[in-house]
Amino acid sequence: MKYALLVAWREYAENAKTKGFWIGLFLMPAILFLSIQVPVWLEEKATPTRYFVLLDQSGSLAPVIESSLERAYQRKMLSALNEYARKYGQALNGTGGTPATPDPLSEFAEGTPRALETFVARGGREHFLVQLQPRLKPGAPTFREPRRVFQRADLPAGISPKAELTAIAEELRPYLRGSTKSAVDGRPVEISAAVLIPPHVDKLIVRPAATPAPGTAAQANTRSPGPPDQIQYWSINASDFSLRSEIEQAVNTEIRRQEYLARGMDGAAIRAVEQTYAAFASLNPKKEKGKEAIDTMDTIKQWAPSGFVYLLWLAIFVIIQMLLNNTIEEKSNRIIEVLLSSVTPGELMMGKLFGIAAIGLTMVGAWMVALFGILSWKSGGASELAGQLLTVLHSSNLVPLFAIYFLLGYLMYSAFILSVGSVCNTIKEAQNYMGVLTMVMMVPLLTMTFIPKDPNGSLARILSWIPLYTPFTMMNRATADPPMIDLIGTLVLLIFSTAVALWMSGKIFRLGILRTGQPPKVIEMLRWVTRRDG
Amino acid sequence: MDTTGTTGAAADVKPPVLELRAITKFYGEFKAVDDLSFSLQSGSICGFLGPNGAGKTTTIRMILEIIKPTSGTITILGRSSALEVRQRIGYLPEEKGLYKKMKAWSVIAYFATLKGLSRKAARERAYELLERYGLKDFADKPTDALSKGMGQKVQMLASLAHDPEFVILDEPFSGLDPVNQQVMEEVIRDIARRGRTVLFSTHVMQHAERLCDRILLIAKGRKMFEGAISDAKRLLPRRVRLETGDAIAALQALPQVTSAHRLESHNLGPTANGAVEWELELHENADPQAILQTCFSQGIRLKSFNQTDPTLHEVFVRLVGTEAKEAAFR
Repeated sequence: MKYALLVAWREYAENAKTKGFWIGLFLMPAILFLSIQVPVWLEEKATPTRYFVLLDQSGSLAPVIESSLERAYQRKMLSALNEYARKYGQALNGTGGTPATPDPLSEFAEGTPRALETFVARGGREHFLVQLQPRLKPGAPTFREPRRVFQRADLPAGISPKAELTAIAEELRPYLRGSTKSAVDGRPVEISAAVLIPPHVDKLIVRPAATPAPGTAAQANTRSPGPPDQIQYWSINASDFSLRSEIEQAVNTEIRRQEYLARGMDGAAIRAVEQTYAAFASLNPKKEKGKEAIDTMDTIKQWAPSGFVYLLWLAIFVIIQMLLNNTIEEKSNRIIEVLLSSVTPGELMMGKLFGIAAIGLTMVGAWMVALFGILSWKSGGASELAGQLLTVLHSSNLVPLFAIYFLLGYLMYSAFILSVGSVCNTIKEAQNYMGVLTMVMMVPLLTMTFIPKDPNGSLARILSWIPLYTPFTMMNRATADPPMIDLIGTLVLLIFSTAVALWMSGKIFRLGILRTGQPPKVIEMLRWVTRRDG
Repeated sequence: MDTTGTTGAAADVKPPVLELRAITKFYGEFKAVDDLSFSLQSGSICGFLGPNGAGKTTTIRMILEIIKPTSGTITILGRSSALEVRQRIGYLPEEKGLYKKMKAWSVIAYFATLKGLSRKAARERAYELLERYGLKDFADKPTDALSKGMGQKVQMLASLAHDPEFVILDEPFSGLDPVNQQVMEEVIRDIARRGRTVLFSTHVMQHAERLCDRILLIAKGRKMFEGAISDAKRLLPRRVRLETGDAIAALQALPQVTSAHRLESHNLGPTANGAVEWELELHENADPQAILQTCFSQGIRLKSFNQTDPTLHEVFVRLVGTEAKEAAFR
């Protein structure tokens, strides 16, 4: 045992010095960090404030559009404030029990139209922050209000707002193409969109043929609407519809309201109707009674295991390569003879297994530390996703299962690697066998995305009972509450078959490691296994 | 002449360092070692000779318990298992190799720890050895930065780092330039001077001739000779070489002379002055002086007269020449 540990120590120390190890160590955290951080950056930086020109010759729609955009912004503000309060606010007088006074902010907590209306009516941001002030945690950062994504810019100087829309559009072209800049508060800005509304909006309204326009005659639908008769949205960015749909919705809501009024309906009633909605919830019958609601957390819970499957696959794949390289190095350099004059093949094999396992555990350990580190760091600020991921990790057994399946999976595959490494003299010779292994190992990568959709279905269950795939598949099903028989049964089978595989590879290793020349045929290796004496 | 090893009256107080009894090893159908027995006394340098494919490496591997003999027993340092006494044995294998990325000192230290040294002692010892053998500047270099000769030296030091009492070297000279071969010889003498036992295999007879007290010669897995070098040389007839322009019929007629033949290796036919070189083989106890006297009495004019002892090389070629050739073409 002492000698096996000496071998293990060398394997560990030497592999820890390789570039591959350090790349493996840092690459995963780097990818994780970027995948959390990049969306945040994109949100903050990559979509700059977009300036648009709004020319309303009808004079009736511009205020509606502006207030609609303002409401959208206030919605964003409220959601940011709620997030801020959740993070930095303490429960009111609450020490475990229910708060003595009702939380004045609770009325804003839900993102309903009513909550938004109340929020705006009470004074918006200032009111909220004043309410929050007494229960802010010490050291909380000041609230940073979200940026306005859309900013209205004035019509560039020199363009007459009274001209024909076609002419105005023509004059706006260079601005919209970006070749000419306009100015907002003295700074040159790029106009990314222009909304042009013709003078007689009522003529533009398209009504179903059977429904005559209230009051005036209905000819609107008989005309073919040419460009001058439409509200025009000009932009070179054809793929981003967020501004357009916001404006379109605002305009149509206003037009419909006008229609209602024209048909003699009560304005207050209309407002009331507009605020009605039916509550809707997705429920999961598997969840605890009273907590069946499905939220983003559930989605994360469903898909997070796939991430772990990928990590598991990557970790196993990286370190069995190390094991193969080291075994073949000792063999091709004939270091093996010196080793075998000092240690038994069994001790050597054990040492290599332990040493590389320790390398692997160091690597995945570092990954886990990085994972928790990055998530905790990021969940405190910009990334909501990070916080939710962290909650899922804390509330599930993903990490311990990952450790177990990593170790067992590694041992399982290393049995194969040690056999191959012991009979091959060069990496090239080993490549043939490795090709087969890689194909075998592709399966969990391919099924990784299917299993979460039906984690306890036939495919998942069958794969779980194949020891080569048990670690990956069961990892994939980890948060789907697989039946106990699957969980325990496959684990027992995996442990048993890993032990058998290692025992077999031990026999092959002992005979193969001193062999030179062509690698033996598989059938010959099987004969070694069944042979009584080495 | 004693070809069966030390037995009976020659029995020392000390038990032999190594004793092989009727060792046979089959690789499938192929008999690599055939009923090999020999023993090795402590404090000696023994050359293990034989042509390529004679079974030297296989025998050494069996001695070290890297592979198991098909039949027969081995006693090494009083034990039946080399692994039990691994701390007391040093081994340099035939094919040399080191961990490429490891530093020279740490390779030596690693093998020393596998032989039972503590990590600290192994490190100190590694630096000490590297300094003693002129490799101090390379101690912290990875081994793939070393030349072949230096690498081999490092490996040699690795096999000696734990100061073993029995050192087995498989082809220690192969791949070394003449200067380094001399260094290697010096290292081996050093080991022996400190009372250690050395067994080394080679097929270069000059090294064996210079270094060994005893030799063990095998071919096709069978023992051909075991004993002192002087005994080995006695296996060949004594010879004299002479150069003359005269007929040598009178010499051939002598009872001591078993055969005579012209040497034509470097000269086709008679030399410029008509002299021919002859080699006469003599009976075991014949006196070369008698040949000289006959020359004078018979008026054979000599250009040169040489009385030569056979070299170990000649002994080797004589004893295993045919097997070696066969092996080469097998």
